[in-house]
Amino acid sequence: MSEDKKTPLLDELEKGPWPSFVTDMKKLAEKKPAVKDVLDQLELSYAEKKGHWKHGGIVGVTGYGGGVIGRYSDKPEEFPNVAEFHTMRINQPSGWFYTTDALRDILKTWDKFGSGLTNMHGATGDIILLGTTTQNLQPAFNEFSEKGWDLGGSGSDLRSPSCCVGPARCENACIDTLDICYNLTQEFQDELHRPMWPYKFKIKVSGCANDCVASVARADFSIVGTWRDTLNIDQAEVRAYANNGYDIKGMVVEKCPSNALEWDGKTLSIKSEECVRCMHCINKMPKALSVGQEKGATILIGGKATILKSAFLSWVLVPFMKMEPPYDEVKDLLRKIWEWWDENGKMRERVGELIYRKGMRVFLRDIGLDPVPQMVAAPRANPYFFWWPEEINK
Amino acid sequence: MSEDLRAKVIEYLGKVDKTKTRDMADNLKEKKSDVDKIVKELAKEGKVEFLYIGTSYVKLVK
Amino acid sequence: MPKTDLGPPNYEQFLPPVIKENYGSWKYHEIVKPGVLKHVAKSGDVLYSVRVGSARLLSMDKILEYCDIADKYCGGYLRFTSRHNVEFLVSDEKNVEPLLNELKEKGLPVGGTGNSLKNIIHTQGWVHCHSAATDASGIVKAVMDEIYDYYTSMTLPAPLKISLACCLNMCGAVHCSDIAILGIHRTLPKINHEMVQKQCEIPTLIASCPTGAIKPNPKLKSVEVNPEKCMYCGNCFTMCPSMPIADPDNDGVALLVGGKVSNARTGPMFSRLAVPYLPNNPPRWPEVVDAIKNLIDVWAANARPGERYGEWIDRIGWESFFKLTGLPFTDKHIDDFIFSVPSFRSTTNFKW
Repeated sequence: MSEDKKTPLLDELEKGPWPSFVTDMKKLAEKKPAVKDVLDQLELSYAEKKGHWKHGGIVGVTGYGGGVIGRYSDKPEEFPNVAEFHTMRINQPSGWFYTTDALRDILKTWDKFGSGLTNMHGATGDIILLGTTTQNLQPAFNEFSEKGWDLGGSGSDLRSPSCCVGPARCENACIDTLDICYNLTQEFQDELHRPMWPYKFKIKVSGCANDCVASVARADFSIVGTWRDTLNIDQAEVRAYANNGYDIKGMVVEKCPSNALEWDGKTLSIKSEECVRCMHCINKMPKALSVGQEKGATILIGGKATILKSAFLSWVLVPFMKMEPPYDEVKDLLRKIWEWWDENGKMRERVGELIYRKGMRVFLRDIGLDPVPQMVAAPRANPYFFWWPEEINK
Repeated sequence: MSEDLRAKVIEYLGKVDKTKTRDMADNLKEKKSDVDKIVKELAKEGKVEFLYIGTSYVKLVK
Repeated sequence: MPKTDLGPPNYEQFLPPVIKENYGSWKYHEIVKPGVLKHVAKSGDVLYSVRVGSARLLSMDKILEYCDIADKYCGGYLRFTSRHNVEFLVSDEKNVEPLLNELKEKGLPVGGTGNSLKNIIHTQGWVHCHSAATDASGIVKAVMDEIYDYYTSMTLPAPLKISLACCLNMCGAVHCSDIAILGIHRTLPKINHEMVQKQCEIPTLIASCPTGAIKPNPKLKSVEVNPEKCMYCGNCFTMCPSMPIADPDNDGVALLVGGKVSNARTGPMFSRLAVPYLPNNPPRWPEVVDAIKNLIDVWAANARPGERYGEWIDRIGWESFFKLTGLPFTDKHIDDFIFSVPSFRSTTNFKW
């Protein structure tokens, strides 16, 4: 039956220069009936302007509470091959590096047990495998596990941490983002696979303030590489930029947010104490400028998208932390934060929302951190502050 | 001690369709982290499974 | 029993030799041409990365095609970026041009570097999501077709990052994008009272509403929704499938602008509302495509070199933004959620 269906609306998306997911899926549909049904159901959605998927139901693999998302067609009679069409999240390697052998191996298993459709990658960072049946979940997982791959997070648990390309290919990396990401993921396997918290918790690791994995916007716990001393200037290379006609004054010096740079036509100088390490000048003159020597990370907390109480950008929690293996300091901090959040959080309350509800002062005291001015854009403008009992004369 | 709690958790799960571990810990008057530890053990043994409806629930495998 | 809690494989085994040898010892990089990065190590070693835009929704055969290419030119090494690009990692300079030729032949777009349009990050949409207010892959395809040349060139004032999330859950976290495309609902959830009783925990459902719009209805053992408080976020539907909120006649797309995530010059910024509603008009969403084209053209014509979308608006002011783009300013643009007041103008300094 289903092979008779046409997809005139989707066919319109085969035109144009950008790669067409429709063309790609149509080819796959020739050997995968489920993909044919996805296309036909999508055609119906395009005609009706409405989705046709349902969520819910228990799907998963033994011992895990995350990593599989249940998905069912709401028109199983019409599209029987996608009556069950669940997602498997496979935890990605740090930095999304692959050998073709590894990718082929993953795809072999996915061809055997699933639709052959993927997302490279999901918003959190996992390899997303779209579309398999309830029955195939456990055997697919068994084979992935055999090959050395594991599921990522989903539900109210630690989501798969992710990181930028870091020292593997970036001169700006102030920390070993790939190792930190790998090490934390390995350390917190239980938190990642067995959801027990009020809601999700995301960790993202960026090597510098350019924040290529959007950790401040998208992670509850953002680790952003930085340095404490002075950035390096290679004056010969600076002059080379100038000799090539580059507008150092206009494009670099005048755009420095803290007016820390001076250029006299021969020498570029920096007032180190004024520098906020925003990366602008380094981005503009990568051959001449580079990050400092005393490297570590700024830890920020609370970032999230809008649902529920507005979007938050992570805010500074620890202005500078050394990041060296085995990363005990950051692990201890994470454990303290989780314990506090788990004890005090309401259902579906992200850690940032809980801190907003309870107040930073309570949070800082409970996890044992001292307040510092780097945590705020400005001090409060109202007089509604609290005192701890021991601060009051008896 | 933890054998006792394990029995209490299993008994509790037997009485409800599904539960959040927060609610189970409150009703059992136990620390949430202790209850969670037991639930994780049971999950690894394949005796408990997870359900996600906006937040995560646990239930006994039937 | 399979092994559990393995975690991901160690990334080291997937790094090409030139990276292993120069790990943490890169000196600088340059953009040789759009889509081609050249990284130079302190040792003098060189790595070329050729960036190719993908649709994110990929068949295994498309990935196998990438693998074949990487075997031919990259010794079998490739990576993906956080924005759904594939990067072919070329250690031998001689392979760069033949690789580019083959990519061109295959119609795979090379670009997304420097002052270019980056690949659009997006969510599942109607292809695989239960709560989508719009499709994702279809709009992205239509938009990228129209502004394709900005991906393959570097002619914009600054990088341009566009993101799409097909509902307010924002799996694509679009809230800090230069241009955000956001699927929205505009009508109340339709309550299936009988099923609410069966499927949902009523206290949990009531607590799920960020504006307190859901009240118990003891007579029906269900709930009711206050139309004056509901702002159609759909969180109740996430908690309770018996509160469907999809409405084909009214769902559609909002556009927000001016966000960024990098700290360069200015800190991260939220995107802010530019266009409150455009209809869902599949298969190619012409209203959305035209609106985005206009937003980009006005910025490209007016921003100073190096100015990101939000930095440009900060300099000229929002009143000038609405004037230049010709977009109407409506009551929808004025915040009335919990952090609204700081967004009101408390100075007499403004433009006409």
